[in-house]
Amino acid sequence: MSAHVAPHRWADAYAGRLDESERTEMEGHAATCRTCAQARERVMRASDTFLAIRNLAAPEVPWDSVRARVHWSVSTERRAKVRPRPSLGWLAFGVTAAAAIVTTVVADPPITQTARAPASASAPTSIVPAAAPAALAGLVNRVTGEVMLDGIRQTDLFTHRLAAGTVIATGDGQLDVQFGDASAFGLGPRSSLELRRFDAEAVELVVRGTIDVKVAPRTTGQRFLVIAGDRTIEVRGTQFRVRHEGNTTSVACRHGLVAVRDQHGQLEVGAARHVDIAADRQVAETHVVPLSIDEVSVLVAATPITLPVWDVDALVQGSAPLEIATSGHREIRVDGVELGAAPMRVRVMPGRHTVEAADSAGRYRRAGWIDVGAQNPGSQPARLTVLPEPPPTRGIDERRRQLRGGIDKVRLGNCVRSIAKAGLAGTYVQIEISVDESGAVGFLNVIDTDLGSTTAGCVRDVLADFRFGTGAAATFRERVEL
Amino acid sequence: MLQRVKRDSGTVAALDPADEVELIERCRADDRRAHDEFYHRFRRQVAGNLFRVLGDRTDIDDLVQEVFVIAFRGLQRFRGDARLSTWIYRICVNVALGRIRTRKRRPNAIGVADLDSASIDPSLEERPETPDRSLERRQDQERVYRALDTLAPKKRIVLYLHEIEGLDLKEIAYLVDSNPVTVRTRLFYARREFYRVIAGDDAQQAVAEEDAS
Repeated sequence: MSAHVAPHRWADAYAGRLDESERTEMEGHAATCRTCAQARERVMRASDTFLAIRNLAAPEVPWDSVRARVHWSVSTERRAKVRPRPSLGWLAFGVTAAAAIVTTVVADPPITQTARAPASASAPTSIVPAAAPAALAGLVNRVTGEVMLDGIRQTDLFTHRLAAGTVIATGDGQLDVQFGDASAFGLGPRSSLELRRFDAEAVELVVRGTIDVKVAPRTTGQRFLVIAGDRTIEVRGTQFRVRHEGNTTSVACRHGLVAVRDQHGQLEVGAARHVDIAADRQVAETHVVPLSIDEVSVLVAATPITLPVWDVDALVQGSAPLEIATSGHREIRVDGVELGAAPMRVRVMPGRHTVEAADSAGRYRRAGWIDVGAQNPGSQPARLTVLPEPPPTRGIDERRRQLRGGIDKVRLGNCVRSIAKAGLAGTYVQIEISVDESGAVGFLNVIDTDLGSTTAGCVRDVLADFRFGTGAAATFRERVEL
Repeated sequence: MLQRVKRDSGTVAALDPADEVELIERCRADDRRAHDEFYHRFRRQVAGNLFRVLGDRTDIDDLVQEVFVIAFRGLQRFRGDARLSTWIYRICVNVALGRIRTRKRRPNAIGVADLDSASIDPSLEERPETPDRSLERRQDQERVYRALDTLAPKKRIVLYLHEIEGLDLKEIAYLVDSNPVTVRTRLFYARREFYRVIAGDDAQQAVAEEDAS
């Protein structure tokens, strides 16, 4: 046998699928061919490994957690299936009404009948059932922490269309869902929400925990209900928060008007007012009280974000998630819009986005920019990591004094002379500087200025020429007025 | 009727057919306890199957969940033309196949640590391994899974079921919802590709040159 042996033939030989003569011939070839001998060795080792793989023990999995998630998914589907259909009484009424209308039209044709298509006298009169209201779809705009949809931690949250029957649950995080032009809800931490009904005619949200809702004015016939235990909150265009924990319900309205109902009565909560209904109290027994400034501020901060253009298909295909990673929680602003505490994922349109993070004093500092491309299935979201704030050092005051006292003001004056002549005064440069114990400057960045680049560069050169003495290491920011 | 039962590495005893039918009926009637029993009986088998097919434990809990959700949904349609354990194995194969396809689009390194942390079934170990032998075994397993990763998902699953699990064509055909002739063809090409990768570059080149001539 002069030809090389195909590697899979060694596996056949090892498994005893070849007859003796063929096997002897292959062995004879391997004795003189180093390549085939090596291949035989490797194939046999792999075949031995198969047994080890076959006997690999099952890994340990958080069994109870998985069981709970399975149960949740299955029971949610089951509940959706057994949801009561519209009563037959309504159906009968609809059929009767439709029949009456058809009869009236046939018996008493209007004057404009000639304008319509000629109807055959023998044509059967069919009753067309009323069209079901158009289903709504919700899109996730912002996520922080862990969120489950229908009991599953979805990896494609931003392409997922939320429809009636969906159950959302949050752990420590929260999410914002937009479901129309200027209409969105934000589910708070450790809360769950079921989209019991989600169509153009009615939206019914069953909530346990905290939900912040912002709803565009409803048209006549549109209903928007939040069901919290045995209490119902109905709105017609407003922004409000419902918190339902245990059997206690709290409703706070930022603007607009909401009606809170239970079996015994109804209460209206107007703008900048709230009501707390204890577990053992009825709605009619409680009183509406004004919100404090701080409480209103909380509502403002909790406003769910909405995108200016609402087109579900275009957004699913054209927008993409941006992941902003921070160490610890940092308040974030993307393109100047405050989005709350990161880490988070937020829906953005493709393009370049500027991300700013708040420092310990609450001032937003530029954290960087990122180019976000259109989302592709299975692709990782664009990610920007916000660097942690440099820790405060004790030598800042000392170094700041040194800098202020030692700046060459004459040279600085030369830098801005031309613009001062043109009448532009009161300009500034904000720098970030790091100095070590020996006085050496680690970095010097101009982080903000209203000067042109040439003038700012000149100012930077002047500042860079300043020599610090020995002292404590410090990293600080300084605004230099010119 | 396919009678072969995939081994259960858990401690729960295998069900006899009558008990199996009863369990299915109770599950169909939405008996919560039956669901629990079903889960406890098959959970280790499911996790083991998924782990062995995929070779890593990333998101294994999500995959186990997916298998059980599909199983509970599908019990109403289960006709009983295979044992329950075989039917669940079929779901595992399909879920794993989906996972492999996703992973092909978004590659995920095969973790030596994954295989490292998964021990051999203790009941099958006669004596403790030496560290050298243990490392060698892990490297061998990693090499096999790397070679499997080079195959198309359909070929990979067929090769895995035949070469590693030792199932015959008819059983594989049931599991991958295909016919034995297709499986045989797929297996032929899968074996050729797989063992060429295993044999290494020299052998691949030698055989390729010979094929060309």
